[in-house]
Amino acid sequence: MIVVQDLVKRYGSFTAVDGVSLEVAPGQIHGFLGPNGAGKTTTIRMIAGLLKPTVGRIVVNGCDLAADPEGAKRALGFIPDRPFIYEKLTAREFLRFHGGLYELDGAPLEERASEMLELFELQRWQDELVESFSHGMKQRLVMCAAFLHRPQAVLVDEPMVGLDPRGARLIKEVFRRMADRGVAILMSTHTLEVAQEMCDRISIILKGRIIARGTVDELRALAGADDEHLTPVFLKLTGGSGLQEIDEIV
Amino acid sequence: MRSSSAAPPFPFLLLPSLLSARNRARRRERGDLMRGVAFGAIALLVAAVIFAASFWVTWQLGGYAEFGDYLLRLGLSWLFLTFLSFLAFSGVVTALSTFYLSDDLRLLMAAPVSRRRLFHARFARTCVHASWMVIVFTVPVLAGIGVARCAPAGFYAAAAATVVPFVVIPVAAGTALTLLLVNVFPARRARDILMLMGLLFAASLVLLLRLVQPEQLLRVESLPEVTDFFAALQSPVTPLLPSFWAGEALFAAVKGSGDMVHLAALWSTAAVLTLGVAMAYDRWYFDGFSKAQEARKARFTRLTWLDGALRLLPMTAVRRHLLVKDTKVFLRDVSQWSQLLLLVALMVVYLYNFRVLDLDRIPYMSGVLKNMYALLNLAMAGLVMATVAARFVFPAVSSEGAAFWIIRTSPLSLRDFLWSKFWTGLVPVLLLTLMLTITANELLGVDPFLEVVSAVAIVFMTVALVGLATGLGARYPRFTADNPSQVAGSYGGIAFMVAAVLFVVMIIGLVGWPSTVWLWYQSRGIDPPARTIVLLAVCFTLAAGISLVTWLLAMRSGVRALEDNR
Repeated sequence: MIVVQDLVKRYGSFTAVDGVSLEVAPGQIHGFLGPNGAGKTTTIRMIAGLLKPTVGRIVVNGCDLAADPEGAKRALGFIPDRPFIYEKLTAREFLRFHGGLYELDGAPLEERASEMLELFELQRWQDELVESFSHGMKQRLVMCAAFLHRPQAVLVDEPMVGLDPRGARLIKEVFRRMADRGVAILMSTHTLEVAQEMCDRISIILKGRIIARGTVDELRALAGADDEHLTPVFLKLTGGSGLQEIDEIV
Repeated sequence: MRSSSAAPPFPFLLLPSLLSARNRARRRERGDLMRGVAFGAIALLVAAVIFAASFWVTWQLGGYAEFGDYLLRLGLSWLFLTFLSFLAFSGVVTALSTFYLSDDLRLLMAAPVSRRRLFHARFARTCVHASWMVIVFTVPVLAGIGVARCAPAGFYAAAAATVVPFVVIPVAAGTALTLLLVNVFPARRARDILMLMGLLFAASLVLLLRLVQPEQLLRVESLPEVTDFFAALQSPVTPLLPSFWAGEALFAAVKGSGDMVHLAALWSTAAVLTLGVAMAYDRWYFDGFSKAQEARKARFTRLTWLDGALRLLPMTAVRRHLLVKDTKVFLRDVSQWSQLLLLVALMVVYLYNFRVLDLDRIPYMSGVLKNMYALLNLAMAGLVMATVAARFVFPAVSSEGAAFWIIRTSPLSLRDFLWSKFWTGLVPVLLLTLMLTITANELLGVDPFLEVVSAVAIVFMTVALVGLATGLGARYPRFTADNPSQVAGSYGGIAFMVAAVLFVVMIIGLVGWPSTVWLWYQSRGIDPPARTIVLLAVCFTLAAGISLVTWLLAMRSGVRALEDNR
């Protein structure tokens, strides 16, 4: 569903993404992990069509993003880490506009918007201006918008930031159900418990390169870690905990 | 449900702006009504003055038969030439924002919106944003001409048919230039381009006014010279410019005939340019947009000299660090810089006017006129200062924005914080206004007494107005504002401007009247009576007292407001 081949992004002499390739099959939740500045967001923004790759090819639902950007974007739902929402629109007005961008209109759009608002527990605030929403509510509204047009593939950059435990639980459930219905989800996250709990496969990126890929068990084996949690595996693969330095400084 | 409709036409993409405006109007916030009434009244007043001036000039020209027609024709052409340069500059700046820097682009670019639709929506938005000011100004001007000449209804239709393509042409050219610049220059410096444009515009403005030599208008000794002056405004390239076509089309319409040739030239040029920009957009837009997403490199990253220089100032370490932070933030914010550049350009023109003002040609009046101008200059400096304070000092507290928690949670008292903001604002504003007042008075050659009075008065006025701006800025902060202009246009900003104008008028009255009385006695070589001297002293003292009270009360009120909102 999402195919990325040899993706490179250079900013002058700095290479932010260096030959990344990955594939997310329908129904799969693919975790994209890495330390800060590793190239996760840059990769996701290239797949979303916001950044032009220096080299490489991106195919979404069979549509080459460079040759048929509209076709690829039509199949994609994008949940950015810092989403933009028109603050002076109400939640429903925003969804109506967003649906219009994906060529939805009339009664089907209204029905679908109501479904989404209900699913993400925002129906009570549907006629309130977005500017009065909390961070978590805005995050849920962005998810409403991303799922509004029933995308075949979803890109998520840090989905759990600002969500309360109930909201986080809800999102996990929605993602799982979406995947069960054949939606391919590529999810970048720092919350390793979320990745461990939800992802079918995980890619770990470091300094712009994919350094490891596989299921949680495969990664555990690769790192030679026998801990059941993903955190020690992640730290081992990405270069130590830094705890010794902390001790020295503190 | 895959797709319930075809892609809606491009105006759909403008919907959020319209809905936001509607929602804003429906859900008024505190002070919105007052702001609306104040802005509405000012706008109506300005429009009425422009209409009256346009009507009067056209009416007067009507008395000179063919020569009047000639001047009207030239005037229209010249007016549109001014608009043309403004629109081209405004087009570049606005296109940079609407095509590359707008936050909603991230949403739109991730959606399956065709490039052509996005271009049309963004271009329409650029045209509206870049030209609304020109259009608002043009309407009363053309209405004044139309009414004065009893123009037929066709004139107003022709005006609409002329202004629309006239606006599109420079905005399309500006958009094309932006497209080129963003692709040629490293995109992380996209905002620097804006600064560059600001500089160019300011320089061209000064140059333009210098070349026009407005002082020649004062030489009304003979008619041929006036004719020469206006003829000099024409150049061989003028007929090739859209401003000339617009002027000709409107002149023909006001005479009751039609000039389809120039109208056709306007429309066809607008169409060709729009098409050309659309094609260039298709080809190069995404490259530029992608580059514009890169993090911007900070300007003046080191500025070690600044840290070193400020270390020499006699102030506490906390205040110094606040000053260093404020100065660096200011230097790195191009939107602040570019506005300051325009202000400097306007000041240069203002001072230049004083230099070329040849009042000695009116021998008996020159002394009186010079002193009148000195007082007028003081009032102007006061109003310039009020504007500068509203734009740069009033937003000082609000500019802390979401980072204000750092100040609140630090061991720095809010009193120290606000006074630091005051001193940071006072020094540059005082230098600016002192320079403006002293230079203008020197260029005019006013009486030394008035020079001293003006210089002292401007110091007191600056202290009071900067204090008022700082205090009211703390009293009515807008930490959520996107930029300082929004803060300046807020309820508190308007309240400050109203208070500042009243203050300037009051001080000019209190300083101007005694100065004039004193100079009257001086010019006749008589010593003023003791009672008059006491009265004059009372006026000067009152002016100083009001300034000091305004300053201290405003600052105290600001500190208290910050502490109450803790």
